[in-house]
Amino acid sequence: MTATHDEGLRVAAVRSAFLSRFRPRGAVWLAAPAVLVLLVVLAYPLGIVVWRSFTDPTVGVDNYVWFFQSAVNRTVLQRTFVVAAWVTLVSLICAYPYAYAMTIVGKNVRLALILCVLVPFWLSGVVRTLAWVILLQDSGVINSILRGLGLSPVKLIRTLPGVVIGMTQVLLPFMILPIYSVMKGIDTRLLQAARSLGAKPWKAFLQIYVPLSLPGVYAGAIIVFILSLGFYITPALLGGPRSILLSSLVQNQVLSLLNWGRGGAMGVVLLVATFVLLALAAPLMRQKHASSRREA
Amino acid sequence: MKKFARALALTMTCALALPVFAQDKPVAGEVKEGSLKGKTLTFVSYGGIYQDGQVAALKEFVDKSGVTLLNDGPTEIAKLKAQVDAGNVTWDVVDTADLPPYVHCGTLFQKLDLSKLDVSKIPPGQVGECSVPAMNYGVVLMYKNETYKDNPPKNWVDFFDTEKFPGSRAIDGSGDPTGGLIEQAFKATGGDPKAMTPDDIEKGIQKLRDLGPDTIYWKTGAESQQLAESGEADMIMMWTGRAMTAVKNGAAYTPVWQDWLVVMDQMTIPVGVKDTDAAYALLNAYLGANAQAVLTEKTSYTPINTDAKPKVDDATAAFLTSTPERNAQGYQQNIPFWVKNFDLAAEKWNALLSGN
Repeated sequence: MTATHDEGLRVAAVRSAFLSRFRPRGAVWLAAPAVLVLLVVLAYPLGIVVWRSFTDPTVGVDNYVWFFQSAVNRTVLQRTFVVAAWVTLVSLICAYPYAYAMTIVGKNVRLALILCVLVPFWLSGVVRTLAWVILLQDSGVINSILRGLGLSPVKLIRTLPGVVIGMTQVLLPFMILPIYSVMKGIDTRLLQAARSLGAKPWKAFLQIYVPLSLPGVYAGAIIVFILSLGFYITPALLGGPRSILLSSLVQNQVLSLLNWGRGGAMGVVLLVATFVLLALAAPLMRQKHASSRREA
Repeated sequence: MKKFARALALTMTCALALPVFAQDKPVAGEVKEGSLKGKTLTFVSYGGIYQDGQVAALKEFVDKSGVTLLNDGPTEIAKLKAQVDAGNVTWDVVDTADLPPYVHCGTLFQKLDLSKLDVSKIPPGQVGECSVPAMNYGVVLMYKNETYKDNPPKNWVDFFDTEKFPGSRAIDGSGDPTGGLIEQAFKATGGDPKAMTPDDIEKGIQKLRDLGPDTIYWKTGAESQQLAESGEADMIMMWTGRAMTAVKNGAAYTPVWQDWLVVMDQMTIPVGVKDTDAAYALLNAYLGANAQAVLTEKTSYTPINTDAKPKVDDATAAFLTSTPERNAQGYQQNIPFWVKNFDLAAEKWNALLSGN
């Protein structure tokens, strides 16, 4: 942060040149602790889940056939992706201006803004969700105020918008922080240069600043989208039957019905669907990312 | 013969030492002094006030027997299955919901040897092949006084009649389907719950679906209580313990006792526990009149020993389900039917709860 942007770029250039010339082969071992942890706590259990989905109770694809034959599962799977997309969109709309504000305000205000982002991290998700229940319910704070103002109350709790509001608040930091970390590295003199060449402020922002900030947007969007897919508590408490997400159905199969094979199959379907979506989005992002780097 | 002589000698010794132990048959609530010294039992239940009350009820057992009692929870059948599958069961006595001991009898839960327990004071019809009751409670229909004033609902049929009794409904969506509720829903369609067939489950579920999209399916007991205290729903299906607490906290709701649904938690011993006899000793102590009185005083749930004489305030007494009047009004779900059709009912129920 203390180095100017130019220095930062120069350092990065030197470093990448150094690394490409003397790529130390042993460096891969630096990742060993993380890889080991991932193998134990992620790959191994995931392997068991996949294994069970094909073997429990019988060997074969019965669990997957069951999954796709059930209208409930198909509806809820689709709903899970729709909700995740909404949460990602709403988070982005809230996070982008917020992150931008963080880069242009003074030091103290920035500190306050960062605190506002981080404080929710320190609270349990359940507590936050219950707070939302109190705010959103029919007899809750928001509707009391509306009624007090002589307006008609709105149905917020046990609706999809209610769930999206609650999830967005929980996930907002995951969108703001990546965007901010990219934005703070953008050289604002590029905007001045664009203006000096005759671009209107709005145009300079859209054509110069926004493309440069896209890597942060993509990173934030992917994190928020993927985390949304696994949400459980918030939809359960803020949503009604029409906003239950797939994780609730998985929980039912695993904890209540003890159909671990089916639960595993549901998890695998969600995982594969996520990978497919990311694979579809990846080329787009790589291209943008590369072009923005070139511009930088 | 030798065994008999030893038993006789033991009986005589006991008879001389402490007359109350002078039977071979166990007596609910009685514990042999120092009998479990150095042993450890892990008791698993649902936490909160309930488990605290159970631990208080077991204090005499712990003090006398010298056992070290560990607490764990909340009860999750999936965790128990994992323990049983792995052959390493660390839960010695487990408190479960109504149906699991029937559904998983012999596979996850041991068939109980009733010669090791005194079940003579348990209300009739509550001892299962793999379980004894842990306590009784009810599911009642609570209606909002302000909404219905002079024309309140009188039973579950009224609960399902949204024309005569308009307003929002809240239903227990915390877990497995409540068989009793589906039976009542089926009854509201004009069917006879006693003659229910698997195909009728869908009819009952459809009746629930017909309550409309505003129906609330609460996920936790606390949530149901919160719904009542904030006046969020006009009729709420509630557990009696939560209903009582809500009323004590000022919720302006009234219970409907006609056809209240009888529910019990179950006490079980998992398959493969290390010391079965110690687990039996805990169960037997738990079933005692004093232990049950303590449990009721601490939790407000109904004792399952008919000799228990808990001292409770009027508000609690109003929600106890063991009086003759309440016994006459209670509705017992058809346990064998729901055990047999558990998967089907759960599937339909989950479809309902996920908006399908």
